[in-house]
Amino acid sequence: MINALLWVPLAFGFVGLFLPKRAVGWWATAGAVATLAIGVIMAFGFESGAAGLQDTVNTTWISGLGVDYSLGIDGLNLFLVLLTALLWVGGIAFAAFREQERPQLFFFLMLAAETATLGSFLAQDLLLFVLFFDLMLVPFYFLFGGWGVDRSAEGGPTAPQATLKMMIYTLIGSLLMLVGAIATAIISAHGGHITFSIEAIQHQGVPVGSQRWIFWFFAAAFLVKMPAFLVHGWMPDAYKAAPLPVLVVFSGVLAKVGAYGFLRVVLPLFPAATSQFQTVILLVALASILYGSVMAFTQTNIRLIAGYSSVAQLGFITAGIFALRADGSDGAILQMVNHGLVVAPLFIIIAILVERTGTEDLRSMGGMAMRAPVLAAVFLIVALATLAMPGSANFIGEFYILNGLFQSKIVFAFIAISGVAMSAYYALRLYIGTMHNRPPSQQNHGIASREISLRDGIVLAPLVLCILGLALYPQLILHRADPSVQRSVSAVTEGGAPSSPSSSESEELAVTK
Amino acid sequence: MSATAWAWLVLLFPLAGSILIALGFRRTSWRTAGIIGTAAIVLAFACGILALVELLGESPDARHHASALWEYASVAGLQIKLGIYVDPLSVFMVLVVTGVSALIHLYSFGYMQSDEGYHRFFSYLNFFVFSMLLLVLAGNFVLLIVGWAFVGFASYALISYWYRRQTATKAGMKAFVINVIGDIGLVLAAFLIFQHLGTFEYTEVFAKAPHVFHSNEWSVTAICLLLLVGAFAKSAQLPFHTWLPDAMEGPTPVSSLIHAATMVTAGVYLIARTHALFVLAPTAADIAAFVGLATLLVAASIALVMTDLKRAIAYSTMSQIGYMVVGVSIGAYSAGMFHLMTHAFFKALLFMAAGSIIAAMANEQNIDKMSGFGKAMKFTSVTMLCGALALAAFPFTSGFFSKDEILAYATARGGMYLIFTVLGYFGALLTAIYTFRLIFRVLRGEPCAEAQELIDTGHVHHAAPFNPATGEEEDTEVGFPGPEHHIAEGSPPMKVAMGILAFLALFAGFIQVPGVDETVTHFLDPVFADSPLAAIHPTTAEAWVGLLIGGLISLGGIGIAYWLYVVSPETPRRLQQRFAAVHTFLYNKWYFDEAIDFLVVRPALAIGRFANRVFERYVIDGAITGGTEDTVDRAGGIVRTFQNGIVRTYGLFVVFGAVGLALYFLIQQS
Repeated sequence: MINALLWVPLAFGFVGLFLPKRAVGWWATAGAVATLAIGVIMAFGFESGAAGLQDTVNTTWISGLGVDYSLGIDGLNLFLVLLTALLWVGGIAFAAFREQERPQLFFFLMLAAETATLGSFLAQDLLLFVLFFDLMLVPFYFLFGGWGVDRSAEGGPTAPQATLKMMIYTLIGSLLMLVGAIATAIISAHGGHITFSIEAIQHQGVPVGSQRWIFWFFAAAFLVKMPAFLVHGWMPDAYKAAPLPVLVVFSGVLAKVGAYGFLRVVLPLFPAATSQFQTVILLVALASILYGSVMAFTQTNIRLIAGYSSVAQLGFITAGIFALRADGSDGAILQMVNHGLVVAPLFIIIAILVERTGTEDLRSMGGMAMRAPVLAAVFLIVALATLAMPGSANFIGEFYILNGLFQSKIVFAFIAISGVAMSAYYALRLYIGTMHNRPPSQQNHGIASREISLRDGIVLAPLVLCILGLALYPQLILHRADPSVQRSVSAVTEGGAPSSPSSSESEELAVTK
Repeated sequence: MSATAWAWLVLLFPLAGSILIALGFRRTSWRTAGIIGTAAIVLAFACGILALVELLGESPDARHHASALWEYASVAGLQIKLGIYVDPLSVFMVLVVTGVSALIHLYSFGYMQSDEGYHRFFSYLNFFVFSMLLLVLAGNFVLLIVGWAFVGFASYALISYWYRRQTATKAGMKAFVINVIGDIGLVLAAFLIFQHLGTFEYTEVFAKAPHVFHSNEWSVTAICLLLLVGAFAKSAQLPFHTWLPDAMEGPTPVSSLIHAATMVTAGVYLIARTHALFVLAPTAADIAAFVGLATLLVAASIALVMTDLKRAIAYSTMSQIGYMVVGVSIGAYSAGMFHLMTHAFFKALLFMAAGSIIAAMANEQNIDKMSGFGKAMKFTSVTMLCGALALAAFPFTSGFFSKDEILAYATARGGMYLIFTVLGYFGALLTAIYTFRLIFRVLRGEPCAEAQELIDTGHVHHAAPFNPATGEEEDTEVGFPGPEHHIAEGSPPMKVAMGILAFLALFAGFIQVPGVDETVTHFLDPVFADSPLAAIHPTTAEAWVGLLIGGLISLGGIGIAYWLYVVSPETPRRLQQRFAAVHTFLYNKWYFDEAIDFLVVRPALAIGRFANRVFERYVIDGAITGGTEDTVDRAGGIVRTFQNGIVRTYGLFVVFGAVGLALYFLIQQS
């Protein structure tokens, strides 16, 4: 079952390469829907309340190196897997409704990206995780470069240039992580048999001195992926270059792999380093919240408003994880799903708006609500969820995150919460700027309706229904995530980490001698 | 059925109405939408009455029930249920909210008749009522915050209802952001409550608090101050009040319902609801009372000079809420809640009458251009006069009993609290003056052109479709009150709503006459029985002395207004010239907007611009990205010399670099 979930998208992608142009979009959509169906079936079979892995697959892959092909589902990744499957359906269906150049290749790359993303969520072997994490980048590299938007006319980079920038950033992170993973396995083996199994490594334990540097190798990869403040330099150009249907899945899911990595790998394997560097990461998270919000204030390109708001949201999620309390991390998991569920429809709506207005500049938009009331209503729901309006699941996510932060590091919570007020401003600014007021030029007046088409409605409706459903019952996710989250977090809080500064100190002395 | 079951139904009807109207906006006529919307609220009111009947059937001590639908978000030690709490206080609020809302829906049915956005309007209006009911019925702090934010959203949506107007969208944004700041106050308060008491449930919080907190301990004071941030933001108390006057951009029924009768009094409800905490934090309670006092005086002073009819009434609302905040903060709980109720009646009525006049003026709101409507619009003028009398606390009207009850309590509490009595009466004098300034200037005098047209032809004046405030061209297609305007004289639903409210404004005070019936106090007593402050009671004689003073002040104020605006209309102009500085200061609303703009808005935007123009360009793109690219480029150059043809070997370099780094660490380790 779990194998099917992982490989079905890629299989559909391969077959799609040989289909006629007109059929391939639908074939790809069918593939994504099939994946989602498998995911949903697995979710129904999921035993909530259990902390451990379920539906596991475990085969030796490269025995000499101790690398296993091992997959599994637990509370940490269950809903991220579902989110991935759902958003890919949205992104692919949205693209299938439109003409694409070289569609076979386009949809193949999309589906290959889905397999890689699912793989990085499902992998329970450190090397397998790193492998999928890096593979994820390849299809997106080609999708951005080959189907992207050329900004050279407006003084920006071409799509390949923007993509290259993204590649450099993420590749550096990824390779550092690869090194970190290899080092982790070697060091934790203590001269014995090397294994990359996350569970086994956690059991063996990594010496505190090594944890400190390996922690940063992993953190670098995850923070770049999110992206966090200071390492987000690739984001603006890449977001401006990316084709919008691809951006739907890219911003909706990929950023979460980074945050997920902290919970899956960093907390259990490097507990001492985690608690030692808690404040540093929290500072980065806080800076991401404030910087992302402030930037989202002033952007005029609507893609970048959404992009910078993601920086801020991922800051919240990171802060929740590094509150190092179960409630903070529960909130982080919930918020990962929530953010994916709002940012994906947001980019779909942005794509629709760009098609209708022919511009991405907020200043030359406006007044759309009059001709497109349904679109306006849908956008309003999404915008309110984006700003974590109480009553939305996003609010519960932020509430848990901030409560965790409040109880562990109260000052950080007070600063972080200002991001909430700012998000209200930039989300409404985006909504009002596109839907309300009046466009500066009156040229749109002649057109009777700019209403959302039925086809786009079909793409958006499930996402919006998920937002509304979760708003009524966020417990769905929280309840299932909690046992696994408790396990990850307790690795840090009970793993002797807080009491070990002195012991790690002495160990370090021993090492240097 | 139990009281809680009725309470759930109270919530259900408005929500269902809102959704139904929204979904049917293409298929149903405006009439259907209006009927559904109004019926939903009337049904909610009926259910509220039934809940009241259930409660009255029980012994006073047993009149509190909690009920939950499902676990909303309960893991990791937090427990948040989708639960409500029904007690006399929440039922009292339910009745006020649904009762007044039903009448305002009825009024809107006529007033908004020719508006293109009719469905949207009624859907939002129903949603607002649902949110407000959620706020007052919530059984824990999280659900309270949900209701709190929902009403904030509904208020935003209705302020910027005519969304093609730039002024309306700006005002909406301002209201929303200030309300979010209030929400944040509540959220932080909830975190602190959880930290100390480990729960969000009302019943547990109020039961545990006295055992956990010492009086005036910093933590309970902090909780109360954070709650006050929420309360002040919603109830437009200083310094969070600037959104309320701007909110008058919304259609007049919205001003009537949300920005006068119900939502803005949520802060008062909150303080009353959490009185168990405020009792433990007397300092915070005193701060609240003084802020309320300051607000009531500042707002009354501004209302004296406002020339915009709706904005003048809005400042009066702020001022009256100031009285309520003073009341519930110093311990006059039931008096504060009673004033909340009577204020809802007469202020909703005043706005309705103002709306009728503004419609007759074709959306002009400037009172300098109005006069003589007493002759042109008899029904509107009479009901407006009823509202004004109640607001000015004319003897034996509803406002007379409710306002003076708060001040009598302050007298009875004595000591420092006498300040509230003295300045409260001074505020009452200002109230009578500014209220009758409006009445005399709008209703009396030679009819203005619009009034004359109404008298001569019976038709309402039609102005060019320009926003009188900005000169912006209006967009009648999205529902700006198009070519037709509706006044009470021509619309039976509006007449019924205003008539009922006029009756209540005049006579609702008789349910709470000192020494005679005191119905509200008896009903609310079980809620506040745990507060030592509830034991303080002015004697009947003291209360009547207070009423006598209040009555005389009211008559005096009306007299002064009569002299200033009827007998000697030159005097105000001379005063204005002689005290030009004071007038400018008041006319500019004490420069609060300018101060906030200077201290908060501009710095935030400046930081944003700096981040965009300087930091992002030079540090992120220049130093970090550029530095990385340069390094990679240079490394590429080195590689190129070894192996010509491989141009972009970034990856290779990184692999070498990283592996080297790792080896270094590994060697160091072993």
